[in-house]
This record gives sequence, structure tokens and C-alpha cells, in this order.
Amino acid sequence: MSEAGAAPITAPGWTAKSKNGVAIVDCDVHHNFRDPRQLLPYLSTFYQEHLLDQGLHLGTYSNVPIRRVRTDLKGRLPKDEFVEGEFAGGDPRDFNFKLEFLQEEHLDRWNIDVALLTGPPPFYGYSGLPDPDWAAALCRAFNDWTIEHWLERDKRVVNAILVSPSDPAQAAEEIDRLGDRADTAAVLVPLSASMPYGNRFYHPIWEACERHGLPAISHVGGDGGATRTTPTPVGYPTYYMESRMSRPYAASAHAASLICEGVFEKFPNFKFALIEVQQLWAVPVMWHMDSDWKGLRDQTPWLKRLPSEYFRDHIRIGTQPMHEPEKPEQMYQMLEMLHADETLIYCSDFPHFDWNDPVTVFPKLPEELHRRIFADNAIEMLRLKER
Amino acid sequence: MERVVVAKVWEIPKGERKIVVPFRGRAGIGVFNVNGSFYAVRNICPHKHGPLCTGELSGWIDTEAPPSGQSGDIAVDELGEILRCPWHQWPFEIATGKCLTDPTVRVKTYPVRIDGDDLIVEYES
Repeated sequence: MSEAGAAPITAPGWTAKSKNGVAIVDCDVHHNFRDPRQLLPYLSTFYQEHLLDQGLHLGTYSNVPIRRVRTDLKGRLPKDEFVEGEFAGGDPRDFNFKLEFLQEEHLDRWNIDVALLTGPPPFYGYSGLPDPDWAAALCRAFNDWTIEHWLERDKRVVNAILVSPSDPAQAAEEIDRLGDRADTAAVLVPLSASMPYGNRFYHPIWEACERHGLPAISHVGGDGGATRTTPTPVGYPTYYMESRMSRPYAASAHAASLICEGVFEKFPNFKFALIEVQQLWAVPVMWHMDSDWKGLRDQTPWLKRLPSEYFRDHIRIGTQPMHEPEKPEQMYQMLEMLHADETLIYCSDFPHFDWNDPVTVFPKLPEELHRRIFADNAIEMLRLKER
Repeated sequence: MERVVVAKVWEIPKGERKIVVPFRGRAGIGVFNVNGSFYAVRNICPHKHGPLCTGELSGWIDTEAPPSGQSGDIAVDELGEILRCPWHQWPFEIATGKCLTDPTVRVKTYPVRIDGDDLIVEYES
């Protein structure tokens, strides 16, 4: 390719081909509607009226200071065409999301073999809606819209179906409804939650995931909604960068909860991925839980292994946004401490401004480690070979 | 073989202990009466060198499934047979010296012999 912006495919670390035929699985590719009214055909009459009367009223506050979407992409909308206000859920939609743009600007350009759709994070505010039935209806509609407009048109694209954790029974029903489709590869739950995800309240969701061989993916978002926590544990920050810095704590809390509550003893084949939450936090979580456990085990005697062993077997971490350490060698130290060959899954976060391309995100890695991070860990987690 | 009289039998009733110092160093040993059997444990925790034998006695807590699983029963076995280091609460089985949460860690123990009214600890010098 000679056009501006084409992939520099000779960059360090780049291996376009893999021995097993899959070079890159991208576990965080966002798609979105242009206008929530696109969901109308997938809502019942009752909820069509609801949307038209009341809008989404997701109520999230996400103070991203600049245009959310990369400005080099085709499909950019001029500012005066933004869909603003209540109908956009508070999210200025500055990108004309289309499968064609995803194919041309991302999948073809970077040789992405499999892309996991993760929906629009501002829409994750559904999880904080006080009305759990409206939240479940929105998830069903969004999933059906996704099937028709994205999944059935390109086999490289698979879906993380949206479910609402505020009503685990309905979430499980939605997993049962779509879980056996070949293009359903995961279940998405927003990072923001009213209780940590190990709590037994949520177990019907994880049970349904295990029933269909699906991992749960928790992507940052949903905070600030009507019944949701603030973006940081100490209240509302003034600036967006502050919100970003608190994400590792939410991820740590969910990871510790899932381990301590025995979720992975109860559902031994279940995997849980935390994405767009940074990475290095997982090291002290593994180290510190192991040392704490030696004194505090009495409270959680159902754990039969060290906490870090559950972490490495069951929890996966997205590579985006990747740290950029002061010294290159610190990157290798970090990957070793993280057990990156087991825990990391490549995530681009296309098409957002803070994305990581697959070429420059890491320095040159040993071939086996490269293959684990960019393909094999995700192939195993999403069970792509079995689809 | 060194032979040390560490206590009279009546000094340590069931569930009680006696710290004997010095014993092969300033930290000494704890001599425990666990349900009528006597054990001696080095009074240095192998974790961070805390005064292990001054810790509380507890049991071994165990269950098969998480509490929201099918079986929520939590059993407490070996009550009084587990010694918790006062510094970080690591649990040690008094009879064997094994740390129950880290199989690579073990505290030194000595056999205790009863000779008349005397409790005797022997060790190779």
C-alpha cells in the first residue's frame, strides 16, 4: 500500500503471518449506530414508544476533551453533522460507523483476521438504568441490529453480545438466545457496576456464559449513569485523564472479587477479560493476593489454589491502552511479570483516538510470545477453533 | 544427644503452652499441650521471623464449594491444633510444623517425651 496511513508492515515486532494461520485477533473493535432511532425496528412496540417519548436517557458523563474518533479515518463527520443531545446518549457521534469503513480502514489495512465487536462505550450507560427491563430491551435491540448490519456481512467480525448486569436473569436469557450462534464469541458487561462482579448476584450470568462456552468481557464504560458509581472511587474528577487513571482500580476490584468469591471454582471453564483498563495493575494484584492469602485464607476456604493461579488461568487483560515505560527493557520486564503469554490479548480500540496499532504497540517480541498476545490467547478464550 | 527438661507436666494443661527461653538461641521454643499430646515448636516464624509461639490457636477451616454453591457448609476441624503467627496470621500445624497455606514453608519442631513428671525435649547437638 502506498497511501498515507498504510500499515508500516516492516516495523519491529511485526509478523503478518502465523504458523497456525491466524496472525491477529483484535478483541476490542467498536461499532455504533449513527442515531438510536436505528434500533426502532428491533424494539417491541412498547419500547419503540419508550424510545421516541423519552430517548435513551443513559445519563452518562464522559468529558473526553477532543474528538473521540481518530481524525485520519474515512467516515469522519464534519462537526455540524454531529448527532448531539439526548438521542445520542450524551455522546457526540462524530463517526459514520459502517462495516465498509471497518473493513477498509482496519481489517484490510492491518491484516486483522478476527475482530471482536464491543459496541459503543457511551451506550454502556444502559447498565446503570434504573429500569432493568428497558436496559434488557436496549441490549436485545442492539444485538439484533448488530447481527443484521455487521455480523452477517463479514465472517471476520464476531460479537461480544451486550447484556445488562442489573438483571442477571434477563442477561442469562439473552445469552441463551444468542449464545450458540457461530458469530457470538463473548458476552460484554460494562466495567462500571454497583457491586463487584464476583458477587453471587451476577452468578446466573457467568453460569450462562459457561453453558455456552463464552467468556465475559468487561470494557471500561457505564460510569456516571443514573444508578452507577462515579468514574473514580473518590468522586467526580474534573478532567478526562483523571477518569482514565482510576480504571485499574475498578479492574483490580472486579478481579479480586471474581477470585475471592469462588467464581472460578464454581464455573471452572469460565474466563473473564478486562479491557481498556491498562495492564500493570494485575502484577500487584497477583503478588499481593498470594501473600495476603497465606494469612487470610480462612475467609475464603473454597479457594484450592493460590489466587494468582486463578488469575492466570481465568482472567485476561487487554493490551490497550498500553503503558509506554521510560526504558525499553522495562516493557519486557512488565510482560514477564504479567505472564503476558497467558494473560494478554491484543486490543486495538479502533477507531478511538487512544488506539494501539498492532505494529508499534510492543517492541520486538519473541515469536512465541508475539503469537500468544496477538492471536493464541484470544483464540483460546473466544474458542474460535470450535466455531 | 542433648536432653533438656523444659517443664513439669502439670505446668502445661490441655490447650496451654509454655515458652521456654533460651533454647538453642534466644527465641526459644513453645511447648504445647494439644489434647493431651505434647509438642515443641521453634519460636521463630519462618516467614518473617515473628514470635510464632505467642500466636493464637485456631482450627483448619475448609469447605468444598463457594458459599453460593450447592454446599455452603464451612467446617472447622483440628480446633486448637493450628498455631497462627501473631505477625501475619500464617497458620502452622503444631504437630508437624507445616505451614498450611504454603507447602514450601515449615517451622522446626522437636519431639517431647514424658519422663515421670518431666517434659523432655531432645535434639542432636
